[in-house]
Amino acid sequence: MIFIIGGAYQGKLEYAKGKYSLSSGQIFTCTEDKNIEFGLRCIYNIQEYTLYCVRNGIDALKVFKEKHDAWQDSILICEDIFCGVVPLGKDMRDWRDMTGKLCSYLSSEAESVTRIFCGLEQKLK
Amino acid sequence: MNVLISGGCKNGKTGFALKTADRLACGKNKYYVATMIPCDDEDRDRINRHIAERADMGFKTLEVSRNIGSCIEMAGENGTFLIDSITALLLNEMFSFNNREAENVEGTKNDEGTEDSNGTENNEAVARCIRGLKKILEKARNAVFVTDYIYSDAVRYDAVTENYRASLAAIDRFLAKECDVVIELCAGARFEHKGGF
Repeated sequence: MIFIIGGAYQGKLEYAKGKYSLSSGQIFTCTEDKNIEFGLRCIYNIQEYTLYCVRNGIDALKVFKEKHDAWQDSILICEDIFCGVVPLGKDMRDWRDMTGKLCSYLSSEAESVTRIFCGLEQKLK
Repeated sequence: MNVLISGGCKNGKTGFALKTADRLACGKNKYYVATMIPCDDEDRDRINRHIAERADMGFKTLEVSRNIGSCIEMAGENGTFLIDSITALLLNEMFSFNNREAENVEGTKNDEGTEDSNGTENNEAVARCIRGLKKILEKARNAVFVTDYIYSDAVRYDAVTENYRASLAAIDRFLAKECDVVIELCAGARFEHKGGF
């Protein structure tokens, strides 16, 4: 699994598309109002799935652990949402928490971790 | 040489940018291009701090809050320019001077899949900034650009703010591509994402 992380609008998906020759049909884009689907080559905007999980009482980390085989050959992309002040709203705090725990797990499982900064790659692992 | 300096706020970006521009200028003309329009005393204090910081460094100050490329006509092509900051420049290009009302808030939707997150860029303001910055990249002897990294927090912003963040990021990515050196400052320490000195 290849894990790509970075702040909003840094060009994470564009980088992945270029580097791994991804077509649109190979990308599952998470949104805050739908469940995740594994199986496509790339799962994008994982932070939207964790928001969906927070709002629906789902443990995202548990889901990823259970579905380990389904994503282990995938490219996973998540937004870095960890540098601001502690959010005031509980759901936003839980969201940051859950996303952080999931990212740490994915990072440890990944064969490579890349951070995208202003469109440039920074190898973290 | 062209250099982009980014990072969170209060990391010493301006101080580092001043030193970098000073070194690149090699004793020749250097210009501090101030883009911020002060709105209150806090802004004015900040500006005064920056003026004091560069007082003895020999920079000529140019105040350019919009149409950033015009600094080339004001100064001539052979100078070293420090543009501080892209963040304020975009703010001025997106919002009017007097009432700071958002212009074209909805922006124009990008091609699907080319953007991160959910915001859309203000294409007109971004194009105006990039047009001016291109001119500086082409004509200046050296240029140092300061921008702010505002992309890694757990907040759902309103549409206007998201639009601004997406737009600033588009300009940052353009500059990162065009510049010879890209540096991120964190607590005063620097990470070289591209090139180096």
